[in-house]
Amino acid sequence: MQGFLFDVKVLELADEKGEFCGKLLAGAGADVVKVEPPGGNPTRSLGPFYHDEPHADRSLYFWHYNFGKRGVTLDIHSAEGTEVLKKMIAQSDVLLDSLPLETLAKLGLDWPALQALNPRLIYVALSPFGRSGPWRDYKANDLVHLALGGQMMCCGYNPKEDGTYDTPPIAPQMWHAYHIAGNQAFIATVGALIGRETTGEGEMIDVPIHQAVSVCTEIDVPYWIYNQTACYRQTGRHAQPAVGPEVQFPTKDGRYSIILANPFPGGYETVVKFFDEKGHAGDLTSEKYQDPNSRKGIEFARHFADVQANCVAAFDMEEIWRGGQDLGIPWAPIRTPEENLGDAQWQARATFTEVEHPELGQRFSYIGAPMLPNEVTWRQGPRAPLVGEHNEDIYRQLGMSREEVMRLKEREII
Amino acid sequence: MRPLEGVRVADLTWLLAGAGGPRLLASLGAEIIRIEWRDRLDFLRYMGPFAPAQNEGAAKAEALDLSGLNKDSVKSVNRSGTFNDINAGKRAVSLNMAHPKGRELFKRLVAVSDVVVESFTAETMRKWGLGYDTLKSIKSDIIYMQQPGWGYKGPYVKFASYGPIAQAVSGLTEQSGLPAPQPPAGWGFSYMDWSGAYYCALTILCATYYKKRTGKGQYLDCSQVEPAIYMTGTAVLDQLVNGRSYQRTGNRSPYKMAAPHGAYRCVGEDRWIALAVSNDDEWKSLVREMGTPSWTQQDKFATLAARVLNQDELDQYVGVWTSDKEPFALQERLQQAGVPAGVCQTAQDRIERDPQLKHLRWLIPLVHSEIGEWPIKDVPFHFTNGTVNQGGPTERAAPCYGEDNDYVYDELLKLTKQERADLEKEGVI
Repeated sequence: MQGFLFDVKVLELADEKGEFCGKLLAGAGADVVKVEPPGGNPTRSLGPFYHDEPHADRSLYFWHYNFGKRGVTLDIHSAEGTEVLKKMIAQSDVLLDSLPLETLAKLGLDWPALQALNPRLIYVALSPFGRSGPWRDYKANDLVHLALGGQMMCCGYNPKEDGTYDTPPIAPQMWHAYHIAGNQAFIATVGALIGRETTGEGEMIDVPIHQAVSVCTEIDVPYWIYNQTACYRQTGRHAQPAVGPEVQFPTKDGRYSIILANPFPGGYETVVKFFDEKGHAGDLTSEKYQDPNSRKGIEFARHFADVQANCVAAFDMEEIWRGGQDLGIPWAPIRTPEENLGDAQWQARATFTEVEHPELGQRFSYIGAPMLPNEVTWRQGPRAPLVGEHNEDIYRQLGMSREEVMRLKEREII
Repeated sequence: MRPLEGVRVADLTWLLAGAGGPRLLASLGAEIIRIEWRDRLDFLRYMGPFAPAQNEGAAKAEALDLSGLNKDSVKSVNRSGTFNDINAGKRAVSLNMAHPKGRELFKRLVAVSDVVVESFTAETMRKWGLGYDTLKSIKSDIIYMQQPGWGYKGPYVKFASYGPIAQAVSGLTEQSGLPAPQPPAGWGFSYMDWSGAYYCALTILCATYYKKRTGKGQYLDCSQVEPAIYMTGTAVLDQLVNGRSYQRTGNRSPYKMAAPHGAYRCVGEDRWIALAVSNDDEWKSLVREMGTPSWTQQDKFATLAARVLNQDELDQYVGVWTSDKEPFALQERLQQAGVPAGVCQTAQDRIERDPQLKHLRWLIPLVHSEIGEWPIKDVPFHFTNGTVNQGGPTERAAPCYGEDNDYVYDELLKLTKQERADLEKEGVI
């Protein structure tokens, strides 16, 4: 089966800011060609590495974020390299660019030039703060983005009794600023591809990562806009205008569970019956809590959370949550990522997929599709390209002779 | 023009993970018809913050308590600020899907729609006789997107999920926070509700492109948990290849060498600045800004590798230096010197102070029919040719309950006056 974007050709000039967007485009079925400098992209130096050996073809980071793409090397800054790049742009539907601002413009490839080269081109550019504005040249990384975007002030641990904090705001690790921006850039790109079906014309799309990250928090912005009320970070749950009841509880085996209150009608009775069957309902079955009016307000919510905590503490992490879910109570284990590999749900959905690494003579489980399409398929491989792996294929397709490819290689242009 | 002009979506989603997807489609120009019924409204319509009535002060600060939705105290279902933002650019009709005549009317809407999207629990639509086969028989190229929490296929089909559930099971919660023995800090907002919304939108967009190219519709099963798992791939590979399970690092960089890399206290209550120094040039600039104190000249801070190795001590020194500085002035000064630095901004900072967000027009004024004009978060992608913004084709904020009944029932579905009056009397509309 083919993918959603079966006839879309993407050229990717991306570092860690844009590689996730390219991964999504490849997953959705586009033919993504990643252009890297000779010797390989700087992101190949990001760990962790296969057997902890730093090596351009052994970055597990690079494996994950470049899954399903093809790769060529090209010194786009050399005169000859720029000409090759132009040929490739002329044959692409999408140019994905997260190189430093002005990199392409300095090569004579600003938007008007790109349009002249390929009037149907969708040019999507990710940059830290956008193309203009007072912070245009600010330097950022994932941490700085999550600080400026508001994520950090929402995430962390409970304040002390007096309302002050002795712990810092927390940035959830593993590149989420680029996940957020990559998702948004992907949405914009496919939107533009759809628009092109009507207009026949290309499009240029700017995605400032700072803006993408800033719109990806939840109630803190409306609370300020509508009520000028600040939200306070608290352990494992939403930042809110006041400290709410706990939802994250330790389990018997030293792990943690998330136990949410059940908002549906009749939910309370179901939860209490479940606790009672486990022998941990505390005083929730007593007369005084039968009247729903006795169960309102934060005092009761905190008491209820204490009862939950006692019940959860008597079981191992994986022992109890499905029982809750069977009754419609939204519970979950706090797993490490790899603990999902053996889960029956993901096996039934083939969420993980086996991928060959012929250069190592090994195969590994990768995360396959983020959803389950039926008419089409989400790309299941191949593994990320080795440095310059597809030079021969792709440059020959561009009409170069084998000798020409050899010559470019000798001159270190590819 | 708007890129999705002419695409109509029957929207049966709610809350954020569901309703946020069609929001994005609206920004690209799709016509979203949100279907609601008064007996079972979106919780967000009952949840604060609310737009204050004239002369009414700010609402009392209260903790969210999902178990105690106090519907009686909500004067109007059209005043929630959160709902107003998440449903901007959409239309809305009142339609009782639990009534057989309501479902018949829904089928007439399907006949003139391109997409049906819902986030009910998995079996709801089938029980109503509105599974994919039925929808396809009404409109042969319909795109039907189902978004139950854990996916339709698989043994957990009946399990519920909200953002915090998807974050917990996927590993995203475990990966956030200070190192053990501290517990995970997790996420202070429903990251996977937003991400769920992104995947709802991007999947429908992919299917819409496919339909434009092939003429075929399709059925899509989109869970909320899988997009979360999708983001944990590096850690899964590290475990499979190297046998190493992810260990939380707080704000320190887990795999890319950098130090200092964290949040440091500044002057003011709960004020922090994030610094990330990942090479010698940035370090030299930081040292210069600090006034080249003698501690920076020790061998243990001479190279990046040494700084990473000794970062407990390094963090203490840097924290003392930042602690008497005003955070925004320090940010500006360090950025001018080429050091990646950013204040841990609050919502107030972003809304009232951040000059870059203002420059990018991240909030745009949109009018709501009952509560008037409010700032709404615009989409963070800027098109050069196409018209793309969160006002969508309606050019307004969120709809009031049933606001577009006239448009949908009279203009689009062409009900006669008598038909509509009868359906209203029978509790269908």
